[in-house]
Amino acid sequence: MSKAKYLGIIKKAYNATRNIYVSKIKFRMGFTLLIVILLLGFVVSFFAPMNTRTWYTVPKDLPPSTEHLLGTSTMGRDVFWELCASIRNSMIIALMTALIASHVGLFIGLVAGIRGGILDRILMFMTDTFIIIPGLPLLIVVLTVLKQWMTLPLLGALISIVSWPWPARQVRAMVLSLRERTFIYTAMLSGMGMVKVLLREIMPYLLGWHLINFTNTIIFAIGMETGLGILGLSILGDNTLGVMIYWALNQFFALFRGILWWIAAPIAASTFIFVAFYLTSMGLSEYLHPRVR
Amino acid sequence: MAPKISKHLIKYIGVRTVIYLATIFSGVTITFFLVKAMPVNAIENILFSITQVGQVYDPEALILLRKTLYEIFGVGGNPLESYVLFLRRVFTFDFGPSIISYPTPARELVFRRLPWTISLLSVSTLISWIVGNLLGVLAGYLRDRKFAKVLEAVAITLYPMPYYIMALILLIFFAVIIPIFPLGGGISVIVESLTLEVILNMIWHSLLPALSLILIGALGWSFLSSRTLTLETLTEDYISYAEVRGLPGNHVLRRYILRNILVPQMTVLGLGLGGIFSGALLTEVLFAYPGVGGLLYYAIFSGDLNTLMAVVFTAMIAVATATYLLDLLYPLIDPRVRYR
Repeated sequence: MSKAKYLGIIKKAYNATRNIYVSKIKFRMGFTLLIVILLLGFVVSFFAPMNTRTWYTVPKDLPPSTEHLLGTSTMGRDVFWELCASIRNSMIIALMTALIASHVGLFIGLVAGIRGGILDRILMFMTDTFIIIPGLPLLIVVLTVLKQWMTLPLLGALISIVSWPWPARQVRAMVLSLRERTFIYTAMLSGMGMVKVLLREIMPYLLGWHLINFTNTIIFAIGMETGLGILGLSILGDNTLGVMIYWALNQFFALFRGILWWIAAPIAASTFIFVAFYLTSMGLSEYLHPRVR
Repeated sequence: MAPKISKHLIKYIGVRTVIYLATIFSGVTITFFLVKAMPVNAIENILFSITQVGQVYDPEALILLRKTLYEIFGVGGNPLESYVLFLRRVFTFDFGPSIISYPTPARELVFRRLPWTISLLSVSTLISWIVGNLLGVLAGYLRDRKFAKVLEAVAITLYPMPYYIMALILLIFFAVIIPIFPLGGGISVIVESLTLEVILNMIWHSLLPALSLILIGALGWSFLSSRTLTLETLTEDYISYAEVRGLPGNHVLRRYILRNILVPQMTVLGLGLGGIFSGALLTEVLFAYPGVGGLLYYAIFSGDLNTLMAVVFTAMIAVATATYLLDLLYPLIDPRVRYR
């Protein structure tokens, strides 16, 4: 692709974002919150004045003050900077999951929907099995075994094992209904190849949905990481939202000892992340399917 | 007519049963191969970390643990043979002795705690499903009222939240800041017999965990999906016809809208059970509730893989069974399905 074409795409995306931003209040609220969260995670966190992974860099158990914005933890870390690093790492995990799971789901749904027949049946049996297996127990077994070797991208990849089946089912359903439309028949009968029909005629209908699904998968992954963190199965050597809750709650009993600023910070941050992404995805879907409103 | 229906019924039940067994079987198989595919000798590693921590274990227990683990994970030996051994272990539900309270079988520990989990889960799921759907239908039917808009805003905030985050928020507010509920546990009196006082105490302790499950369950997906479905149903011709006929609003709401919404909502309940179960496991951990979830945490914490496997497979089988039972009940609610 030429440079001009890239610029054109960027301009289109910018215009679309601006349109939704102006017209949809949910999207506006969600997107603004999202930008704040991403800034905290991916910009502010790099200005941390100390290493957020080492213990006892600051006096412990201090309540919030001007010097320590969100107080300090029993492990002697500044809660604000730890939180920023946690948001970044949790987002990396979630983005990894969303990248893998949403695309695997899209691919399997497309193949099953387009090809049909025995391939469709096999793929859908697999998908249904994965839908019914409770994801958390499966991940618990895998993570108990793999705990020492865990890295951020690997954890993201593992969470995607349990989050691809729903998208696959939905994509298949959409492809099945699209396949019966007249314009697809027209395209196929006029000699367009299967791949070309897929890319030119079917994909444009799925792209908006794909974006929404991507956002929802991020919500799911953040929730899953927090849940695994509570069980002590996230990456304990690093900062993530789940790990922060784990240390505060299970190891240093912040609730009993009343060090609320430490335990409340990751909980509030994850709640904001959930709401921000959900409002964004709702705004997007209202914009893309105005009929549903 | 009667013999024909019963033939269909048998076929319907037969198909569901096959799907049910196939699901459990493939779930178990996937777990086996996932663990098998890992590039490390997991067992020696786990045993090493157990002995390294210095927790005192019966040497006999360690040997038994190693044997069970080797069989369960099929390390060494040929893959097919170990797979068969693994299946036998799972389907006879024999996960060997537990390590946390050796030599009680892991199975027994799970069974002892299962009633706590089942009672908490079934009551809160039922309440949240009913409350959520009723509120959703009302908010959809009377969508211009103030309360409908407030409820929607609350639901949008609660919907994407996992159960355990809600549990933590409730704990902070209602056990620490305003200490009106206990921080955890299942019971705080000594049980000699099941008196009224004991039962009230049990309910008192399970109130906050149940509330966290109900809030998210009812005002989350139940509410939002039934509201959306109501809005869709309201545009149907038969609703307009019923209104034109002058039927009272109450009647339309109950017979025309609610009845039509129950069917898809039932399916969503079946599919959502996995998520509810997983969420409830973590809720139990947070509230130190004496159910299976608490056992799971304890098992992970002390490296007791036998108990861990027992809990995980119980969870899988429980979810599959619940979905299966819902499938069997389905034709009772929707006359259109009628055992196809």
